[in-house]
Amino acid sequence: MAIIGGGSAGLAALKQLSHLGKQAILLEAGSKVGSKNLSGGILYSKKPKKGNVSNVEQLYENFLDDAPIERKITKYILHSTSQNKIYSMDLTTAHDYQANFGCSVLLNKLNSWFAVQAEEAAKKLGGGIIPGVHVKSINWNEQNDATIIQTDELDEFEVKAIIAADGVNSEVAETVGARKKFTPEQLYQGVKVIVKLPEDIINKRFGVSSDEGAAHLFAGDVTLNHIGGGFLYTNSDTLSVGAVYHFDSQISNPTEPYNLIDVLLKNPLISEFIKDDVPIKPKIDKNLPQEEQLRIRFAVAKLIKTWYEIREASLSSIGRDRLLKSGKYKTVEDIQKRLSAIQEQMTEKFGLTFGTDYLEDEYGAKLVPDGKRCRMRKPYFKNILFVGDAAGRGVFVGPRIEGLNVGIDDGVRAANAVAQALDKNDFSENSLGENYSKSVDESPFTTDMKEIDKDYLKIFLDAAKDVPKDIIGSRYGPILKMMSSGTMRGIAVKFANILGYDKLLPMIESEDTYVRVPIQLAERLGEPVLSSYSPTIPSIADRIANLNYNDDHLSHIKVLNPTSEYIKKMVTLCPAKCYTEESGKVIIQHEGCVDCGTCSQETEWKHPRGEKGIHYKYG
Amino acid sequence: MSHLNIAVIIKLEPDFSEGNVSYNPDGTLNRAETKNTLGPHSAIAAHAAFFGRVMYDAKVSIATMGPPIADLALQQAQQISDAEELHLYSDRLFAGADTLGTAEVLRVGIEKMQEKMDIVFSGHRASDGETGQTGPQTAWKLGFTFLGNVISYNVDVETRMVRAKRLISLQGLPNIIEEVEAPLPVFISIDPTYKSSYNTVSQRLAFQKYKKEAIQLSDNFKDYLKIFNAKELGVDETLVGLPGSPTIVYKVERVPKSTATRQAEVIDGSDPEQISKVVKKMKEALSAMVIK
Repeated sequence: MAIIGGGSAGLAALKQLSHLGKQAILLEAGSKVGSKNLSGGILYSKKPKKGNVSNVEQLYENFLDDAPIERKITKYILHSTSQNKIYSMDLTTAHDYQANFGCSVLLNKLNSWFAVQAEEAAKKLGGGIIPGVHVKSINWNEQNDATIIQTDELDEFEVKAIIAADGVNSEVAETVGARKKFTPEQLYQGVKVIVKLPEDIINKRFGVSSDEGAAHLFAGDVTLNHIGGGFLYTNSDTLSVGAVYHFDSQISNPTEPYNLIDVLLKNPLISEFIKDDVPIKPKIDKNLPQEEQLRIRFAVAKLIKTWYEIREASLSSIGRDRLLKSGKYKTVEDIQKRLSAIQEQMTEKFGLTFGTDYLEDEYGAKLVPDGKRCRMRKPYFKNILFVGDAAGRGVFVGPRIEGLNVGIDDGVRAANAVAQALDKNDFSENSLGENYSKSVDESPFTTDMKEIDKDYLKIFLDAAKDVPKDIIGSRYGPILKMMSSGTMRGIAVKFANILGYDKLLPMIESEDTYVRVPIQLAERLGEPVLSSYSPTIPSIADRIANLNYNDDHLSHIKVLNPTSEYIKKMVTLCPAKCYTEESGKVIIQHEGCVDCGTCSQETEWKHPRGEKGIHYKYG
Repeated sequence: MSHLNIAVIIKLEPDFSEGNVSYNPDGTLNRAETKNTLGPHSAIAAHAAFFGRVMYDAKVSIATMGPPIADLALQQAQQISDAEELHLYSDRLFAGADTLGTAEVLRVGIEKMQEKMDIVFSGHRASDGETGQTGPQTAWKLGFTFLGNVISYNVDVETRMVRAKRLISLQGLPNIIEEVEAPLPVFISIDPTYKSSYNTVSQRLAFQKYKKEAIQLSDNFKDYLKIFNAKELGVDETLVGLPGSPTIVYKVERVPKSTATRQAEVIDGSDPEQISKVVKKMKEALSAMVIK
């Protein structure tokens, strides 16, 4: 039994299989579990009206006490923007709806923790996690009924069944022919930056305690006319700032994904959220002897590093405890004194200055499947079961995005189906595949995507009750009127469900909803917000240079037609700016690739070989 | 299966990465202000030892000579190699030793270890002014067969034979990979390009198991650490430290810059105009070349 892919869904499958006493191995392409994972990200625990889900805290018994989550989100606010005017709506009720909790997470840390829990259980049964292995093909030997896995790194080996958890760009699904690549209509493109900000400052600025957090969502002119929006989530001592846009909207009107982030960062409200004191390096006198220049450069680098370390610790509860326990400092005042001493040395000896700016620490990008449009109706192929992103299972209902928890629930369902198959020794599509498929169909996550929930809808209507009806426009006017009355709402929702999501989506997910209405809201009802500085935003080249790669001299991406319209758009749309056009032909430089899959539609696209490619620090 | 015993000799070296290194105004290394770490070549040797741990369930021991703070290097090497025995040879008498004086201490130390060693590993050289002689000299003193520049190895534990690939680079000639076989015990100096490879699912699972064990052991590395001074080690004082070192550093000079025969121009990389000048120059140079 093999699981391909060590994201939260694959790890959930391993944990559950081990819990059921079944031996399994998990293959992960990254050098370490979590290094290739990226999410927005809020991880929800769902409390469904009907049906059952396996939530993270049930699968990992010690989750609530021990897991490295960032903060439990207790404030959820939607901002409509138009230049410096902002109109804010509190949607915390929508965030809390059918949820036990929703917490901000960073996947490198969290998936590493999941891996420790899952591996501990798996090892007792002779299984485990093998990182640094990239699966390249799966073959079936009809004669002896064997399933053979071939990888770039290991000798080939046989398995009884496979759970494919290899993400939105599932190579397993594509190579065996289980599904086609997702199309732009079925995807969102997401980009995110991690901004460093000390814990105490976050607490004060967002009005939360150390274990609470805030989520801020943005629509309006910050979308640059794209269908989607921006987000800012508070982590323990960082912020996740990102933009998620419908990929077909990006294809029809291409905008550099990093520009979409930059627009957000320049919005005065966000600028104020992310600001901090930062040291500014002095220019070193070029007339000094080379050795002296080098000495100063290294000395400044060392001071800045020490300053950041001590300052960050002094502004966090755990950090302060750690410093005091180390015995170097007796009191909190001692730490402050030391910090001032370093600061003095920085300014007086080396001429450093301090200013207001923000500090970005990681840039990343990912495609997100829109489950309403792309979930696999039959999430299996022969003896392979697909889970999470690989099966196209993201849930977008209103502004709330759920994906991690859906994948975890899928992972558990797939593991249950495989355990049953092992007991019966029947891995056929009719038995294993159908069992799993049936279980997924019954999942509340699936029914959520099939049916519009009137109670959830009411939350938005209540939140929007102060909005003048004429802003909503003639298009939504009659619907809104119907929805506002209790009895009519029931009928309207029934009618909407007859029409189905497929017909309604183009109406709901439109420029009106994400761009025009929010802009009008901001202009007419919004308050002006001023920012005291303008953030120095790193260029995309600097962002890529700051990422950690294990370069492969072989390219994992091959351009199929260097003159096609689609591939020309990649010059703009590749989040890592890997594509350039030279005399009418598009060429790729794969070295800065973040494995997002934006270009996969018209390229021969593989994940990098084991241990190669991007290695996210936060994720 | 008969058991395999492996030792690694390592060195604590300055951490030359930015933010950790400090220089004196005269351009020399400020050792007091610079952080220390396990030398990069020592780390590769520890990886090679770990290969033996995973493949042959070998017992690994590590030895180093240095100041008391060198226990940090032992801890780092233990985390890589899953070693059960850590030796630190630390005494003022050892100070000022050259490679030969160092080799003597290491020889005595290795012979004092719990088990009789089958393979001893060393890195290619140190990163802070060393000449790559400590390894070979220790091998000579131990009386072990010396295999240098090894890029991969395997052991037949039954016949007690080691088979190794050596990378031979001679200036002006293409690189040669030589495959040699030798009976245990051997001393292996690891080439900087060495990389362990684990090719089957079960090897990878064993790798994960021992790696985890290594992290647990190194969290409590002091439980495995033994520190010896000259007396405890029982070395011949005339063979170690300054008295045991025939070479004396009598003067350090900067390598003189050779006079340039070509003209160079410094370009400001932030100025696009200047960059286009470079591109133009490159095009000129390329067009002058005949590419067959």
